[in-house]
Amino acid sequence: MTLHFDEGDELRALRAAVADLGSRYGQPYFLEQARSGGRTDALWAEAGKAGFLGVNLPEEYGGGGGGMVELSIVLEELGAAGCPLLMMVVSPAICGTVIGRFGTDEQKQRWLPGLADGSSTMGFAITEPDAGSNSHEITTAARRDGDEWVLSGQKVWISGVDQADALLVVGRLADGPRGTLRPALFVVPTDAPGLAAHPIPMEIVSPERQFQVFLDDVRLPADALVGHPDQGIAQLFAGLNPERVMAAAYSLGVARLAMAKATDYARTRQVWGTPIGAHQGLAHPLAACRIEIECARLMTQKAAWLIDAGQDAGTAANSAKYAAAEAAVHAVDQAIQTHGGNGLSQEYGVAALLTMSRVSRIAPVSREMILSFVAQHDLRLPRSY
Amino acid sequence: MNIVVLVKQVPDSGSERKLDPADNTVARASADNVINEMDEYAIEEALLVRDREGGEVTVLTVGPDSATDAIRKALSMGADKAVHVVDDAIHGSCAVQTSGVIAAALQQLEYDLVLCGAEATDAQLSVMPALVAERLNIPQLSGARKLTVEGGMAKIERQTDGGYWAVEAPLPAIVSTWDTINEPRYPSFKGIMAAKKKPVETKTLADLGLDAGSVGLANATSKVLDFAGRPPKGEGVKVVDEGDGAQKFVDFLASQKIV
Repeated sequence: MTLHFDEGDELRALRAAVADLGSRYGQPYFLEQARSGGRTDALWAEAGKAGFLGVNLPEEYGGGGGGMVELSIVLEELGAAGCPLLMMVVSPAICGTVIGRFGTDEQKQRWLPGLADGSSTMGFAITEPDAGSNSHEITTAARRDGDEWVLSGQKVWISGVDQADALLVVGRLADGPRGTLRPALFVVPTDAPGLAAHPIPMEIVSPERQFQVFLDDVRLPADALVGHPDQGIAQLFAGLNPERVMAAAYSLGVARLAMAKATDYARTRQVWGTPIGAHQGLAHPLAACRIEIECARLMTQKAAWLIDAGQDAGTAANSAKYAAAEAAVHAVDQAIQTHGGNGLSQEYGVAALLTMSRVSRIAPVSREMILSFVAQHDLRLPRSY
Repeated sequence: MNIVVLVKQVPDSGSERKLDPADNTVARASADNVINEMDEYAIEEALLVRDREGGEVTVLTVGPDSATDAIRKALSMGADKAVHVVDDAIHGSCAVQTSGVIAAALQQLEYDLVLCGAEATDAQLSVMPALVAERLNIPQLSGARKLTVEGGMAKIERQTDGGYWAVEAPLPAIVSTWDTINEPRYPSFKGIMAAKKKPVETKTLADLGLDAGSVGLANATSKVLDFAGRPPKGEGVKVVDEGDGAQKFVDFLASQKIV
């Protein structure tokens, strides 16, 4: 009988090493890039060189040979240090997992080493204006033309297209005269003729920008289709649970940073001769946030472990994502309240976390979609959609 | 080039540190123990010298079982192997005794260069390089902010308040480093995974041919008789400006040697 919650020496060392790297950049660097329209390429490159971005990818393709347990630790620690790298959610976690599990040998050789060392970045394009969270209604379609695919459609809320060398686009096959459609994933270079990306102005303080992407008869070679066309659904689900775990890790990092700022302030800020943290009006909500964060962290670790063990991680990954998002929203809100007016100043870096934490309730899957999923799958309640 | 780095595990200087009232030694069990910060610069310098000159970096530490964490950190940064001297009899040893243990361990190793941090954040005695150099009859170059190794010589810029001295000595020599010498690397993922496969040799006093009576609290050359916590911060100085505020302010700064 073995059940233990000790991460062990290597994972602890990984946390410490990533935290060390993150602290060398820190939130000031991150915010400066975000506010000046800059990018966190220097941190991305350094994290890639140290092997942190590819910890989950196979060793034979330049990765670390670990899994989502390791990768989620990397993102959480970078976030806690003030510089979460959002593209980790898509490039190594979704795209790396899908190509690593379903890609042909040539596709793995072409993409994984770059994704592992950070020298190339791949975005993920699934959401469409008319489909929203309903990936069954995707209309982006590829038709065959000789040796090539011709891909057309429209995507929205695509992160970091300007940072990405390619996008993993979820489309369908327009299959012969009967017109039936099947999901299929394509690797599309971001400089492909016919691909246009337009940034969406957002209030999120983050160097990663959001884009609308238009695919207008984009011609792709035959091997742009990942793996076998019959595996589209399996590929999608293989990528989405890691995405949820990474979204949870992102939220946990934000939550921990907010808590570190809040508790530091509550310990040192004195009014009427007493540190404000001595008052239960501030101490109790912060303690409640701490409990939420630790619970969300446990579920995130469990979900990552289930994915790595090849077990069904759907409920755990969604629960982790839900719990971590709630923990982040509550922690950031309470951190602002703890700081009073300073909480909304730029100097303290707390308000900058506000929209970031709020995003986590919406993307990549909304709180409501998760609750519907759990209601239907775990509570066996009637489906609502 | 065989390089040995002396590494010490200490209570984290960023956390509250205590002495154990039972025997007035550093309370390690309750502390957040980490690798001595200054030693990380020595490790980094050793790795840089090795990468230029070739050879091997061996980490040498004297400390309890828990010091394996410090060893693992050094190995994950890239050191090749480690020697861990662990023996309950060493507990409470003074600097002079500890230098004897380190010297005995070094004599069982091949070394051209011994590197160590210029001070440890727990005791802050900064005497270890001199003690070890004396015991081994090798030169010490202390307080380096720059190190070059060429032609069988170690050359350092020895950091001083006003600048530096250029000092050199023939190898083998012991060099202590300040935090101005480099920027220590953080372990890569490969480094972390490789660390667990690197050899760590554990040695007891008997393995070093030392008698337990030569070390330990009971036989130490110095003893901590008593200790007290830092007194609480007093009230600050309040200066009332009666037209001479600026002068008083400058006088205060001058009295604190700030201006």
